[in-house]
Amino acid sequence: MSGDSHCSSSRYIPPWTQPYIIGVAGCSGSGKTSVAQMIIEEINQPWTVLLSLDNFYKSLSPEMSAKAFANDYDFDKPDALDLDLLFKCVQELRNGRKAEIPVYSFAHHQRTERTTTIYGANVIIIEGIYALYNPDLLELMDTKVYVDTDLDICLARRLNRDIVHRGRDLEGILKQWHRFVKPNSERFVIPTISSADVVIPRGADNTVGIDMLTKHINKQLDIKSREHLSHLEMLSQSTEALNYENVTILEETNQLKVINTTLFDRECDRTEFIFFFDRIAILLINAGLEFLDCRESEIRYTPGNHAYRFMEQLHAVVAVSIIRSGDCFMDSLKKTFPELTVGKLLIQQDTHTGEPRLHTERLPDIAGRKVFLLDAQIVSGSAAIMAVQVLVDHGVAEADIVLVCYLATKVGIKRILRAFGGIAIVIGKQQSDEQGSSFFKSRFIDAQYFGTS
Amino acid sequence: MSEYPNTIILPQTNQLVSLYSIIRDVNTRRGDFVFYSDRIIRLLVEEGLNQLPVEPHTVKTSTGISYEGSRFVGKICGVSIIRAGESMEQGLRECCRSVRIGKILIQRDEETALPKLFYVKFPEDIAERYVLLLDPMLATGGSAIMAAQVLLDNGVKEEKILFLNLLASPEGIKAFYEKFPKIKIITGGVDQGLDANRYIVPGLGDFGDRYYCI
Repeated sequence: MSGDSHCSSSRYIPPWTQPYIIGVAGCSGSGKTSVAQMIIEEINQPWTVLLSLDNFYKSLSPEMSAKAFANDYDFDKPDALDLDLLFKCVQELRNGRKAEIPVYSFAHHQRTERTTTIYGANVIIIEGIYALYNPDLLELMDTKVYVDTDLDICLARRLNRDIVHRGRDLEGILKQWHRFVKPNSERFVIPTISSADVVIPRGADNTVGIDMLTKHINKQLDIKSREHLSHLEMLSQSTEALNYENVTILEETNQLKVINTTLFDRECDRTEFIFFFDRIAILLINAGLEFLDCRESEIRYTPGNHAYRFMEQLHAVVAVSIIRSGDCFMDSLKKTFPELTVGKLLIQQDTHTGEPRLHTERLPDIAGRKVFLLDAQIVSGSAAIMAVQVLVDHGVAEADIVLVCYLATKVGIKRILRAFGGIAIVIGKQQSDEQGSSFFKSRFIDAQYFGTS
Repeated sequence: MSEYPNTIILPQTNQLVSLYSIIRDVNTRRGDFVFYSDRIIRLLVEEGLNQLPVEPHTVKTSTGISYEGSRFVGKICGVSIIRAGESMEQGLRECCRSVRIGKILIQRDEETALPKLFYVKFPEDIAERYVLLLDPMLATGGSAIMAAQVLLDNGVKEEKILFLNLLASPEGIKAFYEKFPKIKIITGGVDQGLDANRYIVPGLGDFGDRYYCI
């Protein structure tokens, strides 16, 4: 299947390729960090990333490092920061890729070996003295905030912070302030106020200003959520023909009908439920295995010394479970693949809007692998769509993804196929037209399986 | 196999063929042999249970609507032919917890070279039950035919017997069908035939030995 067949209206646009980006600038000690923290608390979005410019200091050469330890190095000029790297990191995030954020050591004036891996940010807050300095970064920002605090107060805060938290001595700090911090602030930082959309005088004490700011941000995020949802909605409305060739719905044999009846019965106790779900899980996993490539290889021999052609399965499977309903498949998966590698995604729907949100991704190295994506129930399809996007972002080809689910609505499957026509789907039971939609929309599988509501 | 309407062969998918590829191999170690055989047995048992009759059964779902489904009619039990057939008991239990399992020991009589019945233990009410007869290999059919006859002698109805095996020979299926046309045979695969020693070709060796000993 060619990837070009997707027209733009049928492509899924995950929220993290259009993150809401906020810049928070201000002089050293102005209270930027506190303001940024307050914004994070107030907007309470999953996957908000705080990018502190402090982590983007350039590593120092031995000579420069020696100067730095003698408080003779200018950390406050724009050049001291690697703003290009910051720009690149933000771009990576917007392209749905992982970004490696450097970790800087103030004790050693060096970038450490470690990096922080970030992916899937919904909101990015860029905080630092030069957050509003680089024109390329300004282009990407949705809201630009400048925290305007008097330089005297800045110095007072800085003394406290550097002595208590960074282990510096008073004399050094003052020397640095007069030689570098103050002149650079006046020359480079304060002028960036002209790029700001909002100026917050005094910093964190200014609760009125911060409140107004977060109200504005929340409004913008609401609009973004609604657009995401209506886009997901649209995926089921297009009339473009879909390819169901790679969709397997288990044939409803007597056997399956009995299992379904048992699982649907509200009187079914949990021991029974788990037992019957595990049975159907094995059947679903086996049906999914049909999408793995096999190859006839060399001649081998039986104990009776008769020759036969060996059929070889070409892939080791990686399972990725959508927490929690995908976890219902774990036991059965382990019975089928004893050495299974497992990744997990936590995608939850906002209880008010129904918008899917990616909270956690813990994936093994899956680029180029065959992946079984597990989700016991497909209702709107949006969590599965988001999960497939995460896999694709991590280098898995659509053709290498097998989505395994037990119950599915037609509209959910339609949306998934619209967004990702190249994946294979295995379904235990699909809602038929006469069956009550309310039932297929109620998420009961994982609740029963794990015994919680 | 269309001339034997009583025989159901599992769909020969790539996946199933690759499972058989592993257990046929003389170099496959016992751990893998057991693991992959068990996977095939599970599929056989599911297909076997699928042959049991059902009746309509309506249940209330958690949202209060009615679902018109099905439930099984009648009771079942397993009967394994000692020793190889016992390897299939776990697969049966994984699908039917606490299922009753009867046993039959049939061995070749060294003097006559014919199969001889040594031991039988069945649930008391076996005559009222559907019976899943378990023996992994159907070669000549000698012992399976004898086992089926013992079941009939104990009052089990022919049409209520399902014979589950992993590998069958055309000769075995024919012999079994001629004797008991109403017994359903559910097999994972049908091989080319039998060799001079009456072993299945290409086969997979002595199943009991490979599952339990070698």
